[in-house]
Amino acid sequence: MKKIVSLMLAAVLVLSIGATLAEGKTIVYWSMWESTEPQGQVIQKAVDAYAAETGNKVDVQFKGRTGIREGLQPALDAGTAIDLFDEDIDRVNRLWANYLLNLEDLAKETGYEETAIAGLMGSCREAGGGELKSIPYQPNVFNVFYNQDIFDEAGITEPPKTWDEFLDACEKIKAAGYIPLTSDDAYILCNLGYHLARYLGSEGVSKVVKEGLWAEEPAVLKTAQAFEEMATKGYFSPTIGSSVWPTNQNGEMALGLAGMYLNGSWLPNEVKAMTGPDFRWGCFAYPELEGGKDGAEASNYGAQVFGINKNSEVAKEAFDIIIKITKGEYDKMLSEESVGIPSDTTNTEWPTMLASVKPVMDGLSTRWTWAAGIEDNADMTPIIKQELQKLCAGEITAQQFVDNLEAKSASN
Amino acid sequence: MRQNKAVIAIFLMPAVLFFCLIFIYPIFRTGLMSFYEVENITSGMNEWKFSGLANYFKLADTSLFRISMWNLFRIWAVGGVAVMLIALFFAGILNSGIKAKKFFRAVIYMPNIISAVALATMWLQYVYNPRFGLFTTFFDAVGLTDFAKTQWTAPGNKFWAMLFAYCFGMVGYHMLIFSSGIEKISPEYYEAASIDGANKLAQFRQITLPLLTGVIKTNLTMWSITSVSFFTWSQLFSNVVSDVDTISPVVYLYNQVFSGGNVVTERNAGVGAAVGILMGICVVVVFLLINLLIRDDELEY
Repeated sequence: MKKIVSLMLAAVLVLSIGATLAEGKTIVYWSMWESTEPQGQVIQKAVDAYAAETGNKVDVQFKGRTGIREGLQPALDAGTAIDLFDEDIDRVNRLWANYLLNLEDLAKETGYEETAIAGLMGSCREAGGGELKSIPYQPNVFNVFYNQDIFDEAGITEPPKTWDEFLDACEKIKAAGYIPLTSDDAYILCNLGYHLARYLGSEGVSKVVKEGLWAEEPAVLKTAQAFEEMATKGYFSPTIGSSVWPTNQNGEMALGLAGMYLNGSWLPNEVKAMTGPDFRWGCFAYPELEGGKDGAEASNYGAQVFGINKNSEVAKEAFDIIIKITKGEYDKMLSEESVGIPSDTTNTEWPTMLASVKPVMDGLSTRWTWAAGIEDNADMTPIIKQELQKLCAGEITAQQFVDNLEAKSASN
Repeated sequence: MRQNKAVIAIFLMPAVLFFCLIFIYPIFRTGLMSFYEVENITSGMNEWKFSGLANYFKLADTSLFRISMWNLFRIWAVGGVAVMLIALFFAGILNSGIKAKKFFRAVIYMPNIISAVALATMWLQYVYNPRFGLFTTFFDAVGLTDFAKTQWTAPGNKFWAMLFAYCFGMVGYHMLIFSSGIEKISPEYYEAASIDGANKLAQFRQITLPLLTGVIKTNLTMWSITSVSFFTWSQLFSNVVSDVDTISPVVYLYNQVFSGGNVVTERNAGVGAAVGILMGICVVVVFLLINLLIRDDELEY
């Protein structure tokens, strides 16, 4: 009896191993999205379609941003089998560079670049130290987003290109009874970074925050004076100094009380439940400044990127999944569902809400890092933010802003 | 007898091993790590660069870290006094024979069963909202229009806004611990005191408080430990970019170890480890002080 039982058990074991082998390969993908986000839902569909076509099994784990930032590297160090992962372009290429597989050959074999956005592929190579180690998708651009209906009502026919035109637009929006420019604590620093970077370029901004050149660099005072003038004239939201994200993004921008917000191209998607599909979004490049180093061609733009683990035994299959998600049908679906920019150049139709972003994106050639470098010194970022909130709320003057930061960065 | 000892040792071995592996080893490793420059928290020890006390000096030199320590002290001291007094007050009332005791106890404890994320969202997006928030509409309604215009989350106010919201949620928890201590006190003491003519306040001062010393000690220790690891509320009150008003040492640690902000900045798990060690020292010091100042072994009841 015992013999029969053990024979049967052995048979079951052998059969199950055989079945596993016949099922094909398994690819493990740690995703930066939550399964409930539109991106997560479309990626799940793409992966399901890939699995059905190939017979391979894809183990997708939706980790979310926090989960992947905290968990990916320790998991990779511990030898967890993770073949494919994603995060933003700088994080993947800088923090996780040691785990990345060189994708030049796979991209060449599959002709990937023929239908990819050349500028972003270039950014990926630049971030990867000259080699293609990541594949971009969900491109985004960070610039001034505005409410077209408010612009129409205020009689602004053309988006402002220069600072004077911008101030003029603010005046008209204010006269029409709306808040000209709003922001929240999460993005307010981008205003400072962008204005300063128009003068100095993002490397110049980074140098100011890292070396504490607040008083030494005259562009800082000029920028602060521009913001002081905005505050005095009432062009900022009255709650710009206290708003915790997403209070003003939702309560002022999405509800149609504010005209403009310097934000990313993900903004229309984030507030679409509040704005409804008929909200008319506009986008323009942050105004050019007289005597500035960088013009409308410069801004922060980038993408989420996929990376493949250099130790993966299924790198080819992982790359096929990238193709499935970033090309053709599913790229289109991802763009539509997440109100995002398509990464496949044959998907020429952008979501209506982002139509005005296309000319801005097409005009870009200089890539600034996040917030144009103003957040590059982690020990100073909260301090700069607090001073800027006070400046925009009209509590301190431009000179006090410069003096305070000079004093505080000296004590760091 | 000798055999018996061997058996004891064998049975204890797994627990001891796990204790060493899960508690002793990480403490030892963190302590060691704090003297090194470590790019990534899981880097092998061969990648660590010895830097002596540099991490501790860096912390002492960084005004943001000093601000975070000051914030932590204010949370512990101001929040602690407020929460302990209110919790004790509620526990005293609840055990003074009022009607619907269970209902009130449940109401006061309720914030503890709601996720901190939901609570913070309620405070930020509703209570403190300067446009249609509870405070704004309430103070408007009672005629304090100037006060209603206060921006509760503006620099300077935000710390107190956060502390108020945090303490609101913590009162119930400590009230429950006080309450269980009061319930253990025999009613006979109170009866005797009543016969002798002592009023409620005198009873509370002369009977309840002295007999609660042990519970007070427990509460203070619990409060200190939760304060030191103050993280969630700070993150929720400044959810993308850290804030001078809300940053705590553990948030600073997190940013150093995981490059927590929008930008990928330099990481040093060694600095994070040094923060961890400093926090550990804080807890030990506070614990020793509490033991020194509050003696509860004199009373038996």
